[in-house]
Amino acid sequence: MTPSSIPGQETPESLPFDLMRVPGLGHLFRWRYARPLLQVPLLVLSLVMILHGLFGPTLAPKSLATTLSWLHFRGVLVLVLLCAGNFFCLACPFMLVRQAARRFFTPRFTWPRPLRNKWLSVGLFVLILFTYELFDLWSSPWWTAWLIVAYFVSVLVVDGFFKHASFCKFVCPIGQFNFVASTLSPFEVKVREQDVCTSCHTKDCIRGRREAISDLVTIRGCELALFQPSKVGNMDCTFCLDCVHACPHDNIGILSRLPASELIVDPIRSGIGYFSRRKDLAALAIVFTFGALLNAFGMVSPVYAVETWLGRMMHVSHEAPVLGLIFTFFLIVEPVLLLGLAAWLTRVWARSPRALLSLAVRYSYGLVPLGFGMWLAHYCFHFLTGLYTLIPVTQNAIASLGRAFLGEPRWALTGLPANVVQVIEIGFLVLGFAGSLVVTYSLAEDDSPDKPLRAFLPWAAVCLVLWCASLWLMFQPMEMRAMLMSG
Amino acid sequence: MFDGFLKQGTARWLVGFVCAATSLTAGCSRPVESPPFVAIEHAISPQPARVGPVTVTLKLTDAAGKPLTGAHIAIEADMSHAGMSPKFAEAKEAYPGCYQAHLEFQMAGDWIILLHVTLPDGKKLDRPIDVRGVRPN
Repeated sequence: MTPSSIPGQETPESLPFDLMRVPGLGHLFRWRYARPLLQVPLLVLSLVMILHGLFGPTLAPKSLATTLSWLHFRGVLVLVLLCAGNFFCLACPFMLVRQAARRFFTPRFTWPRPLRNKWLSVGLFVLILFTYELFDLWSSPWWTAWLIVAYFVSVLVVDGFFKHASFCKFVCPIGQFNFVASTLSPFEVKVREQDVCTSCHTKDCIRGRREAISDLVTIRGCELALFQPSKVGNMDCTFCLDCVHACPHDNIGILSRLPASELIVDPIRSGIGYFSRRKDLAALAIVFTFGALLNAFGMVSPVYAVETWLGRMMHVSHEAPVLGLIFTFFLIVEPVLLLGLAAWLTRVWARSPRALLSLAVRYSYGLVPLGFGMWLAHYCFHFLTGLYTLIPVTQNAIASLGRAFLGEPRWALTGLPANVVQVIEIGFLVLGFAGSLVVTYSLAEDDSPDKPLRAFLPWAAVCLVLWCASLWLMFQPMEMRAMLMSG
Repeated sequence: MFDGFLKQGTARWLVGFVCAATSLTAGCSRPVESPPFVAIEHAISPQPARVGPVTVTLKLTDAAGKPLTGAHIAIEADMSHAGMSPKFAEAKEAYPGCYQAHLEFQMAGDWIILLHVTLPDGKKLDRPIDVRGVRPN
């Protein structure tokens, strides 16, 4: 054991803050069953949500399925990503079920090579956003419950057949959302001292710790193919802490870092490669950003006027084709136009040697802070304005069982006043806008060291357009309809 | 191909679980008593409904078409989105068989008004009223 591996000993001043060094927390995370400890409560909660969604009240404001899914889970998720890191994936209840199932099923196959990218998960991410709007998932406890069931089944099927964490890395839409958002988190799972890794011969963090005689894996290594010494940032990291437990030198911590810093640099990353060469990752970043605006657009009054108008123009009464057109515009046409124009201007003004597509891929990561700002503003609006509704909904659920030991539902409890929440929303949007400007300027400096301002300006204009759109959306009257195009 | 994939006994365990779950679910169903016939006509003003105070007018008639007097009507208005608290009101009988209540729609969108009616003979019935597209101010 190296001196630095002894818990509680001195940490060099230059080292960043390490959550694993926090008394109590470090011991908890180092404990082998830390993950199940966090997963079990979420699994129980998931089961309660499924049961209440299927057999409880049909009204969304009275259901634990819809209240917990669309208010509390989403709100807490984005706040934890903003303030800490991808700790939801650490506590993911789906993975607990998968682990239990793997006692019975042994996956035999490796994930198909053509699917070892983000294209499938980008498609599923869009599909989730689309079905959310089409079937008004937020208004249906029944559909929400089935969505959770579908998630459990998908995990079991994918990881039942395919080895490692195929579902997390290549399929899970929530996971992809978390991966992108966690590029802005202040903590990452990282090696403490590179020298220790250089002298390490066993590489347990990726291979897993093995028994000396049988060579059987006793503590698994990273299932997402992230080799700690060359891992950069949070992309694809589920914070599962397998590497922490496997490392024989206790050389992996949860270290503080500058949020978004991993979006600025472009080294080769273990398990990922170069950001600048990953068109699928760029597509994910674009869907993440433009999807944030689209998702918010779906809850304000103008969307109904647009849908009605489009329905008349297309001579259709069903929502799906109209919604399909809106999605095509927001997630394909608009990004192609905005990013294409900005990339072309960068080439012309800054005489960047990169191709248009290469420039668009490179700078698309710069939009992620803006997108995250919008997700934060949107989800925190619902979370904070409905913060206390969990109390009467739980009271009602208990009372419906015939044992009102929590008292009668106090329906007057709602949340923070909308005008207070609006200030917080604007704060998130400003933070996201500032973050995007910093990242895109840093990319411009790196890309066109001679003329960084000229390379930066087109992307700053894109950020400004998206930010103005976000602000406009936030000031629109909210309108929640469960039956779109109903006249 | 799947030799060893499904370990011994797992299939039997799964089948047993599904059977138990199915029989439990089936055992929970109860016969439903048919509610008494009451026709309820409703009107909401202003029209179209907007965010803010609204008046709900209800006309209750029995099977013979006669006004149904002396009923107690508790009203509950819910939005279709989680995070919104329901609004409650009592409908007062303005004249025989006609009841009025005052509510406030706090947000634009779709609302559902639930009527919890207690008839003079003590029988109860619930009726939902969809109020779609409440407009913003």
